[in-house]
Amino acid sequence: MLTIGLDIGSITTKIAVMNSKALIDAKVSFTGYNVEKAWRNILKETLDRLQLKESAVDRIVATGYGRSGVSIANETVTEIKCHAVGARFYMDNVASVIDIGGQDSKFIRIDKGGNVADFVMNDKCAAGTGRFLEVMARALEVDLTDFSKLSLQARKSSPISSMCTVFAESEVISLIAKGESRENIIAGINESIVNRLVSMIGRSKIEEPVVLTGGVAQNIGIQTALMKKLKIKIWVPETAQVNGAIGAAILARNI
Amino acid sequence: MKAFAYFDSGHEFPEEIVMAAGFSPMKILGDVHKGTAAADEYLFPFFCPFARGCLADALENSGKWSGIGVAHGCDATDHHYDMWRDHVKGVPIFWVNTPMKMDQLARTFYIQELKRFIDNLDKQYSVKVGDKELKDAISLSNQVKSLLRQLAPLRVKKDIPNRDYFEIMRKSIQMPKESLVEDLKKTLADWENRKPFPAGKIPTFLTGSDVSFVEFMDLLDNAGFRVVRDDLSLGERYFATSIPDAASPVEALVTYSFDMPRSATRVPSDGRLEYILAVLKDTKIDTVVSQNMKFCEPYAMDAVWTIPAIKGKGYNCMHFERDFTPADNQLFTRLEAFKETIQQKGGRSNV
Ligand code: SF4
Repeated sequence: MLTIGLDIGSITTKIAVMNSKALIDAKVSFTGYNVEKAWRNILKETLDRLQLKESAVDRIVATGYGRSGVSIANETVTEIKCHAVGARFYMDNVASVIDIGGQDSKFIRIDKGGNVADFVMNDKCAAGTGRFLEVMARALEVDLTDFSKLSLQARKSSPISSMCTVFAESEVISLIAKGESRENIIAGINESIVNRLVSMIGRSKIEEPVVLTGGVAQNIGIQTALMKKLKIKIWVPETAQVNGAIGAAILARNI
Repeated sequence: MKAFAYFDSGHEFPEEIVMAAGFSPMKILGDVHKGTAAADEYLFPFFCPFARGCLADALENSGKWSGIGVAHGCDATDHHYDMWRDHVKGVPIFWVNTPMKMDQLARTFYIQELKRFIDNLDKQYSVKVGDKELKDAISLSNQVKSLLRQLAPLRVKKDIPNRDYFEIMRKSIQMPKESLVEDLKKTLADWENRKPFPAGKIPTFLTGSDVSFVEFMDLLDNAGFRVVRDDLSLGERYFATSIPDAASPVEALVTYSFDMPRSATRVPSDGRLEYILAVLKDTKIDTVVSQNMKFCEPYAMDAVWTIPAIKGKGYNCMHFERDFTPADNQLFTRLEAFKETIQQKGGRSNV
């Protein structure tokens, strides 16, 4: 059986191709303003690369904020469920998933049966999401890959106290003007994202093992700050960014 | 009959008094499609967008109204009264200081307050609001509430989309009451002939800030949540109880105000939780959607202890903050995920 998961996020579109046991291929591209173009392109490129025809695909499940725009999907499923299922593919006994996406962050608690027991999501605010990191990286003129590593060279972290992305950006600019090092500022930004996440998770119980997913999961500075703050070990799958698409492809097997 | 507009936050405004003065009461709801820009220049950002939308509505439409009444509910209503007096021109604006406590002292105070409001209307419009006029208005109002009490339970049995329920509530607080009675009778005949409650929809109790635009009700429906009970002002709070028969109609209005299902603006709010739990038990529904409008402090604060108490009883319960916007994709995802968790467990879910 060949199934496909398409995760149409606010910043990136992800695809995962799976057979009944394994992940065959996965890819990420920018969503842009045209959701339909985004999924059609990534689907075509992937099938061409794998030398497959669309008719060879048994089922497609779409997820992400643009899921309802995927006309060829056999079903749409929310990204909360897909991330839970995707994380279990990586770690069978996962108990908690923290997903940091472009405009949403989520904490998902998974019960012993592998179902979503409960979840919390950020209210509509970019602070604590990938979009926040993007804005900050732009203000610091650093690309996101360097941004991830630079915080590890920080001697201390410069706290960012503004809750609002727009004001946090001007706070960053004033720190630059004061001569604060980029590394220290980035460490402060990572801490502020982690603080937002932890306050969002609030009183929900974080049980281990914990898997971190989403585009921001690759950021080593965030991983480190999160582990330090929560005093737990966090697992980051290599496929963290396409985790939702993997979950969708797995769910497609059983619909 | 000319409209007399009012702004309140938990069904505090005594509609019957302006009806007795010869006006048609009309609750201001704002217009989510026009947004709040017209009002923003007069307000600090911490005011909830619903109240901002109401001011924008008043700035645009006050010329069509005979008067505006503002009744004390939350902090927004209080501060808005002061601001509206400065910025909404060409229409008299009245203040009704509804007490938030419900003890004997508050009762005595509120009787005096309603009499003061009546006096002010008498003077402003050269009318005489007497006991007879008030009793007639109360009788008409009770007729509306009685019809709504016949309509509302049909939501549990029949296919009544959330938007249809919202629409009868919107009419009830905005249409002249005489024509409303006929309208509700027709709606009752229509609803009685609807198809049975649709399979696949989750019967839901809706609580929290008042819902003032139909798109939010559509969002719930599209995500699979059918509102069959609620405690909103544009909902059951408006019609759950009738205005009692009493020798003094003013005292009857005070009793009504104190006995209606409690909003989060009133203290203590234990009664609000008791009401919700009693309704859930009575209707045998196990799903609660609780929402608060951004910057709506009364419901945000109330949720801190109300929601854990509801969850603690084992009900499916989701609480979230929402905006004053007709489209909300993120919220739709959260609701759908809530539905998925309920379905996969075949029942309970707490989010
Ligand atoms: S939404 Fe909340 S804050 Fe706004 S007027 Fe209503 S009760 Fe007050």
